Amino acid sequence: MTDFTSSTSAEGAVMFPRPKKRIKGRSIAVLVFLTMAALFFSIPLYVLVTTSFKTMDQIRGGAIFSLPEVWTFEAWRYAWDEACSGITCEGLKRGFVNSLEILFPSLIASIAISAVTGYALALWNVRWAGGFLFLLFLCAFVPFQIIMYPLIVITVKLGIYGSVWAVAFIHTVLAMPVLTLIFRNYYKDIPPEIIKAAIMDNGSFWRIFLEIVLPMSGNILIVVLIMQITSIWNDYLIGVTFGGLGAQPMTVNLANMVTVTTGTVSYNVNMAAALQTAVPPLVIYFVLGKFFVQGIAAGAVKG
Amino acid sequence: MGIRWSRLTPQLALTPAVAITAIAFIGSIGWTILLSLTSSRRLPDYTIDWTNPFRQYARLFADIGWRISLSNLIVLAIGSALAIVFGFILAAMIERERRGEDFFRTVFLYPLAISLIVTGVAWRWIFNPALGLESFFHSLGMTWVSFNWLADGRTAMYAIILASVWQSSGFYMALMLAGLKAINVEIWSAARLDGVPLWRVYLEIIIPMMKFTFLTCAILLSLGVIKAYDIIVAMTNGGPGQSTWLPAYFTINAMSAKGNLAFASAAATLMLAITLVIFLPLVLLTVWQQRMRKGVAG
Repeated sequence: MTDFTSSTSAEGAVMFPRPKKRIKGRSIAVLVFLTMAALFFSIPLYVLVTTSFKTMDQIRGGAIFSLPEVWTFEAWRYAWDEACSGITCEGLKRGFVNSLEILFPSLIASIAISAVTGYALALWNVRWAGGFLFLLFLCAFVPFQIIMYPLIVITVKLGIYGSVWAVAFIHTVLAMPVLTLIFRNYYKDIPPEIIKAAIMDNGSFWRIFLEIVLPMSGNILIVVLIMQITSIWNDYLIGVTFGGLGAQPMTVNLANMVTVTTGTVSYNVNMAAALQTAVPPLVIYFVLGKFFVQGIAAGAVKG
Repeated sequence: MGIRWSRLTPQLALTPAVAITAIAFIGSIGWTILLSLTSSRRLPDYTIDWTNPFRQYARLFADIGWRISLSNLIVLAIGSALAIVFGFILAAMIERERRGEDFFRTVFLYPLAISLIVTGVAWRWIFNPALGLESFFHSLGMTWVSFNWLADGRTAMYAIILASVWQSSGFYMALMLAGLKAINVEIWSAARLDGVPLWRVYLEIIIPMMKFTFLTCAILLSLGVIKAYDIIVAMTNGGPGQSTWLPAYFTINAMSAKGNLAFASAAATLMLAITLVIFLPLVLLTVWQQRMRKGVAG
């Protein structure tokens, strides 16, 4: 794990300046190809945005790539407030609140547990640390289906099945192995002399963590935070399995909304709903892109 | 490296992680494997018929849905490998042509921040026969163009492959870009002095040098393919018929829709087995890499 991810996260470490050249034919060809690829990548987002602002009359006329004749927010309002998903017709706002209620507890719990575990394994003398790390490495790859039924039984026994707490709990459980490995990799580079000196100074396990280690982990915390926010927000399977009817996250809400088979399909509402679900992680991506890339490299094993 | 004092607190602090690993992972895996040997229907029944403990597995391989799932798994793996090729080409071009690096990287990578459900909604709309891409081409007079892939069992998998390539190419591009930037710049000048054409430099020097990156990408891709579930739900929900079933979809369908616990557990156990088969090279690779690094240092 250690070397596996560090080999991919070394990005930006080595940069060599290349002599500046005039634009040549090959350069132009490369730029044309890249621009076409960029167009291919932009098409779905473009179609989502334009369709969500069109009226159904214009959509029925065809021309998927045309701009809206009249820009209307009606589909956005309807998707948020009234659209039906399953048997309830409250729009996506309910799912949005559920997603937030799932997000915060799982963020706090998963990062707290993983950071402390990673710290203990990296800097304290735990004899079975090596074996445990290997076990965590294995757990990070386990397909969800093999532990799904037992986890359902456990959450039912705990009395939380079908609530946001169950979804948050399962997110915490599933993220623990990867996050622990990431934190452990980060903390193992802290010189042991610092910790030894702190112990001489009557520092306890928790005091050293809070006063020395935590203030040093700003970078990795942001990376992990972004990684977790996007993966929890975009999750569908855990939400649909453990949320029941009352605690469905936004993605589940959206999936139910767009697969409704009765009545006419309002494509503009579907696209607006999809965009509303995509906006929070996209905002994070465009604002904190640098950390996002680091998060991908660090969490590469998560797949 | 270690510290001798106060051994108890760190061990106590590790309790939650150890408990999660023991119960939610190891215990639960054992539990599911045990269930796969029983005849449980909707409710668990832990009596194992020892005369034929593997009957669920026999049923599984006789099941047409499972066979479709396995062959789709291979189709999806091969198709998604395009994302690695595409990712490498994009990374190589971005790396050579420094102009616009940030812009292109941002555009290629944004699909990764989006939920697969959203991706499915967007692509299903593009594949809409009456109002989507097909009608666009037809309105241009190209009536022979057909993009109604999702309605046909023979082409539906290709639509899913296209959507997953769109979603994941940027990820492989980011990994490849990191790998390319770590390559020593002297190779380029040496190759230029020798007059070796550019494509041969890539094919014969750069790609072999990046074999670890490629292997990493391949393993991550295979693990992603085994887990693929959301995109199926969002784009086809398994249809038309069973033509886009995958093991992950099959397992959850057997458990929740059909209420066949033992059968689903057997499928999940086989998913774990497939994962382990892919996973093994990764472990060997890590060991090998460590040994090579030690060899270089010593």
